[in-house]
Amino acid sequence: MAARLPGLGAVVAAPLVLLARAVDPPLRWWQRVAGQGGMAAVFLLPNLAIFGVFVLVPLALNLVYSTTAGTGILLGGRSFVGAAQYARLLECGDYLDALTCREDMFWTATANTFVFVVFQVTTMVAVATITALILNREIRGRGFFRAVFFFPVLLSPVVVGLIWRWILQRQGLLNLIMVSLGLDPEVWLNDRTYAFAATIGVSVWAHMGFYTLILLAGLQAIPKDLYEAAEMDGTPPARVFRRITLPLLGPNLAVVLVLALIRGVQIFDEVYVLTGGGPGTSTLYLTQYIYEVGFASVLRNPGLAAAASILMGLVLVVLTLCQLRLSRRGAARDAK
Amino acid sequence: MGRIALHDIRKRFGATEIIHGVDLAVEDGELVVFVGPSGCGKSTLLRLIAGLDRPSSGTIEIDGRDVTRLSAAERGLAMVFQSYALYPHMTVRQNLSFGLENTKMARDEVARRIDAAARMLEIAPLLDRRPTQLSGGQRQRVAIGRAIVREPAAFLLDEPLSNLDAELRVTMRAELAQLHARLTTTMIHVTHDQVEAMTLADRIVVLRQGRIEQVATPLDLFNRPANLFVAGFVGAPNMNLLSATARDGRAALPGGLDIPVPRDGPCTIGIRPQHLHPAEPGAPALEGQVTLVEALGTETVLHARTPDGTALTTVVQGQSPLRPGQTLRLTPDPHEIHRFDADGLRMDDPGAAR
Ligand SMILES: Nc1ncnc2c1ncn2[C@@H]1O[C@H](COP(=O)(O)OP(=O)(O)OP(=O)(O)O)[C@@H](O)[C@H]1O
Ligand SMILES: [Mg+2]
Repeated sequence: MAARLPGLGAVVAAPLVLLARAVDPPLRWWQRVAGQGGMAAVFLLPNLAIFGVFVLVPLALNLVYSTTAGTGILLGGRSFVGAAQYARLLECGDYLDALTCREDMFWTATANTFVFVVFQVTTMVAVATITALILNREIRGRGFFRAVFFFPVLLSPVVVGLIWRWILQRQGLLNLIMVSLGLDPEVWLNDRTYAFAATIGVSVWAHMGFYTLILLAGLQAIPKDLYEAAEMDGTPPARVFRRITLPLLGPNLAVVLVLALIRGVQIFDEVYVLTGGGPGTSTLYLTQYIYEVGFASVLRNPGLAAAASILMGLVLVVLTLCQLRLSRRGAARDAK
Repeated sequence: MGRIALHDIRKRFGATEIIHGVDLAVEDGELVVFVGPSGCGKSTLLRLIAGLDRPSSGTIEIDGRDVTRLSAAERGLAMVFQSYALYPHMTVRQNLSFGLENTKMARDEVARRIDAAARMLEIAPLLDRRPTQLSGGQRQRVAIGRAIVREPAAFLLDEPLSNLDAELRVTMRAELAQLHARLTTTMIHVTHDQVEAMTLADRIVVLRQGRIEQVATPLDLFNRPANLFVAGFVGAPNMNLLSATARDGRAALPGGLDIPVPRDGPCTIGIRPQHLHPAEPGAPALEGQVTLVEALGTETVLHARTPDGTALTTVVQGQSPLRPGQTLRLTPDPHEIHRFDADGLRMDDPGAAR
């Protein structure tokens, strides 16, 4: 018999086998010492470490920074000021008029973000629902369209911003097309309304695929025979949608709504690349404000930025709690 | 009124034809049961009648009116789905009224119909519950109620009892029969449960691979199966089928038995297990070794194998002392023998005047 050569699989697996052999004895020793519970801790440790380093520690640091003042980045050079940064942010003559506030930019950004979220989330939910309804039908090339609508989700937000700037800028694609059609070109990103609309349109374009997918999953979970029962009764399509589709899609719609809210509040990358917050401050949103106050302005103020981000975090916590409640209610309903 | 007629119905999904030309007339008030093995096209045929699918060719008539091109709603039929298809977010009452609200029916008429159906099906106390708060049998009743309130020309039921446990299935089967007797509306009922078919049906339609094999009353189907498929499909345990070759009007079976057959050539002799009896000593008999004894209490099913390897099944009343390995000698009831030609079609008994 010829000597057997090791297969490709064995070659690939060899280093893994070696590694497994190396970690096996210490793990066994630890199990003897610490028991089953101790083993659980060992296996949880790597993830916990990552979560700690990238989430918990920054969160704690952020809290600390928000109670200090100064321009230095290192904690050593900063002085403790208590809640002064929060007070500064919240100091306002009239809360309805950003210009009467001490940190008017914070309030402008907050107001902008609020308006943005209202419009963006409504548009997002509407567009994603309609797209999901269309993609749920037996149409030709359904798989292709599903991929097409999901594709932008995979793009880096910066790439999204760059693509759309290239389309919308003064000598961009859109203006080229308009000129070739005999229309007057428009400086889209220099117009307050157009720029604001562009931030909404672009962020919807970039993220709707994700929400469409959630809604599509919800639509496909609705049993086909419910629609057939309605068809036997001659139920008009509008009534089928209102009385069957909408109520049964409710939990998915709620999840989409809250997720879109959470992500809308945090909008940054695409917009920063697309408009940079302009023209003026018309598309300046909260995250960009925080970034600029903390890192990008001449008189940087990490303490103020930290306080602002904690305030924004509180809003997000409330929204996340809503989402958790909704998805738990959904799970409880599914379990029945 | 609800006379349903199918003329040369064919159905293709893409390139594959699933229903290969079905002709059938269901008389008004009749309860017809479709049976057949899984995948034979029972549901497809029912959906074509319902109008949920369109036939590739052929026509469907209800009370003499061609409805082939009409929508499901316009056909005035009601369907009960295997999964019940109750709207989970609506109460039972809303489930019942939902379909009626599409036709601008007066409120008190809707209420009257729901009341009547609820009383008939004994679901009145459940009207304000949701489907998730009901047991399987209750859901089943609600599904039937939703069909009843529409006062359809015919009911179409696709395996309505298959999601129920065995005991409940027997109860609901009896209720369905009573319901049909009371409503006298045409019903087409799909099942692959033979007992359900035999007990419910006025006539049974046996389907195989998209074709009708036989349409007959339950007893006709049992007594005079038109071909080998029906013979093997109807009756439990399955009919014994023995291959033989007929010469000079007689087919020889192992053990010296000799059956008169109208035509010479290869044939199949069918004998139901219930019609095999212990043979007199010395008389010609089918002989085999018992391989399995299924004692059911009131009767015993004996499985045996002849020396040439043919499997035999017989049923004896009461309990049997026989054990696996012992020898069994059987002789068929001469009036209960089925003969099938080389194509598997029934040949008539040359002697009997039945
Ligand atoms: N929409 C469809 N597309 C393609 N093939 C289909 C479709 N619906 C049914 N078929 C095929 O048609 C055949 C008959 O299906 P049908 O559901 O009518 O069977 P059935 O007799 O109801 O079976 P069962 O007893 O399992 O319910 C099957 O082979 C099935 O694969
Ligand atoms: Mg079926």
